[in-house]
Amino acid sequence: MSFLPDISLIAVLLASGVRLATPIGFAALGGVLAERSGVYNVGLEGMMLWGAFGAAAGTYLTGSPVAGLVAGVLLGAVAGLLLALLCVGLAVNQLVAGIAINLLCAGLTAFLARALFGLAGGGTAVSGFASLPVPYLSGLPLIGTALFNQDPLVYMLPVLVAVVTICLYRTQAGLRLRAAGESPRAADSAGVNVTAVRYVSLALSGAFAAAGGCHLVLCQVYIFSEGMSAGKGFIALAAIILGRWHPVGAVVAALFFGLCDALQLQLQFSNPLVPYQIFLILPFAASLVALVWFNKGARQPAATGMVFDREAR
Amino acid sequence: MKITRRGLLATAALAAPALLLARTGFAASGTLKAAIVMPGAITDHGWSQSGYEAMGVVTEKLGIETAYSEKVAQPDHVEVLSDYARRGFTHVIGHGGEFQDAIDRVAARFTDTRFIVTNGLHAADNVSTADFYFSQPAYVLGFLAGRLSKSGKVGLIQAQKFKFTNDTLAGFEAGFKIARPDGAVFATWTGDWDDVAKGKEAALNQIAQGADIIWPTMDSATQGALQAVREKGVKAFGLYYDAITKWPDIVLQSSILDVKSLIVALLTTARDEGLTGKNYRYDFNNPDVVRLGTFASEIPADTAAEVATLMSRIRSGQLVIEPA
Repeated sequence: MSFLPDISLIAVLLASGVRLATPIGFAALGGVLAERSGVYNVGLEGMMLWGAFGAAAGTYLTGSPVAGLVAGVLLGAVAGLLLALLCVGLAVNQLVAGIAINLLCAGLTAFLARALFGLAGGGTAVSGFASLPVPYLSGLPLIGTALFNQDPLVYMLPVLVAVVTICLYRTQAGLRLRAAGESPRAADSAGVNVTAVRYVSLALSGAFAAAGGCHLVLCQVYIFSEGMSAGKGFIALAAIILGRWHPVGAVVAALFFGLCDALQLQLQFSNPLVPYQIFLILPFAASLVALVWFNKGARQPAATGMVFDREAR
Repeated sequence: MKITRRGLLATAALAAPALLLARTGFAASGTLKAAIVMPGAITDHGWSQSGYEAMGVVTEKLGIETAYSEKVAQPDHVEVLSDYARRGFTHVIGHGGEFQDAIDRVAARFTDTRFIVTNGLHAADNVSTADFYFSQPAYVLGFLAGRLSKSGKVGLIQAQKFKFTNDTLAGFEAGFKIARPDGAVFATWTGDWDDVAKGKEAALNQIAQGADIIWPTMDSATQGALQAVREKGVKAFGLYYDAITKWPDIVLQSSILDVKSLIVALLTTARDEGLTGKNYRYDFNNPDVVRLGTFASEIPADTAAEVATLMSRIRSGQLVIEPA
């Protein structure tokens, strides 16, 4: 029995990897924005779950997945603002505030989902986005289904990555955001309102993470279930570091994690004699190795994690 | 009244046996108070929800006071279980084999409380265990899968590897091989009971390898797998409840392990005759607890008849399915 699955299955593997990576990619993109502006967003996991709930609730109440997406993303932005209030406004430790957000979202979404869908009706199916094949391109061998026969949110991710990259590195607003994360005091002297920049970037961060949650509900399973983010927000935190705080890098890292996860599912039954736990740890082992390997020269924004107080010397 | 030391001692001497009597009489006299401690959410459409619903039935039918704790993680097991014992619950259920270690510890401290482990591994004086004969329905569904699969490939998706899942896989494979000696059973472990997205990808993967009947056996994650089955137009088996009611277009048959009835049956026994420190195993001879669901209309009558014969042979003990 060969170690690798059949060649024809590689296309399936790639498509599966892209789907698994998309929520992580959205969250990682949000995390990059937050950390670039100087705040750790450990609450990505909770914001993702919050977005998933928003998507399900919005779609359930209005019948339109577009409304669900908007609701999810808006709720995510609100959660981002809450984090900003805690760690920018009230100077709470950023890691503690992030964990608090995670706990809050886990509890609150479970409570609200039961209130909205009821116990018996929990897991109520909502409508969602169907996959949207790109003419001609979706027929390409190997990468056709993976890249060009996906749902709208998958297509949206690279577009957003491009927009975020251009904004971060080519616009004044992006320069301000990065300055707030590298040297808030210098930025402040130059007239940048560091507090406002961080509020805005955390709201965006929450919105992106929530979009990842929306993808889970609206494009993958069409239901909300408690704890459905299942640790993807934490994997996104690793993807940020692996991608060196760059939007493109972080999303590529997310893709790598997604592919490892997909590979893990396939390797299991092409190699039934190997204990399945070996394959389950594959994504995590790979990320550890990758982190150590690529860590040389990686440096996080200098002021990330620190409270900025204008009055302090 | 003047309280003297002698009087106090005398009162205590008189009261002590009375208190002891009252204590032992407590469990037998029918004033049951039952609590259940569950690993998952009461909305998981599976294991924990059944446990929660069982307590509702118990309260209503048997008229006993109940309480529950959901989403109790492993590190909190001992504390939550002890708390119920301390508060005077006579029957404390750890819902799932993973509670065994915690219950062993707590039961040694609270000897007057009866502890129950569903899917437990070993009983003790005041610890009873209860489980399903998992292999039986798994065998029958395996047989049915072998009869109905066109590609000769079927898939079983499970979250983790332990006794329940091992027994299920072994039974399913054994039954399948009888009906389809040349076919293949794919087994996937996702490592997560509730990750719906992963459940879906696991099913998509098995379908891509040619499986045309999928049996997902996780908790919330099952819904993701069934979604994949629906999208790809293949078929599925259900678990715990008659899944055809929720997924009529894809579900062929379900293995109903009625966790709810198991707990109700167990607590009824507790009320009527008391429980002893042994394992209570429920099989096809307890159709309240272990049975098959509704056959999908597309299943030929002779196949359904074959399944019925198989089940009666199992019930009579003619055919014994060995656990893994």
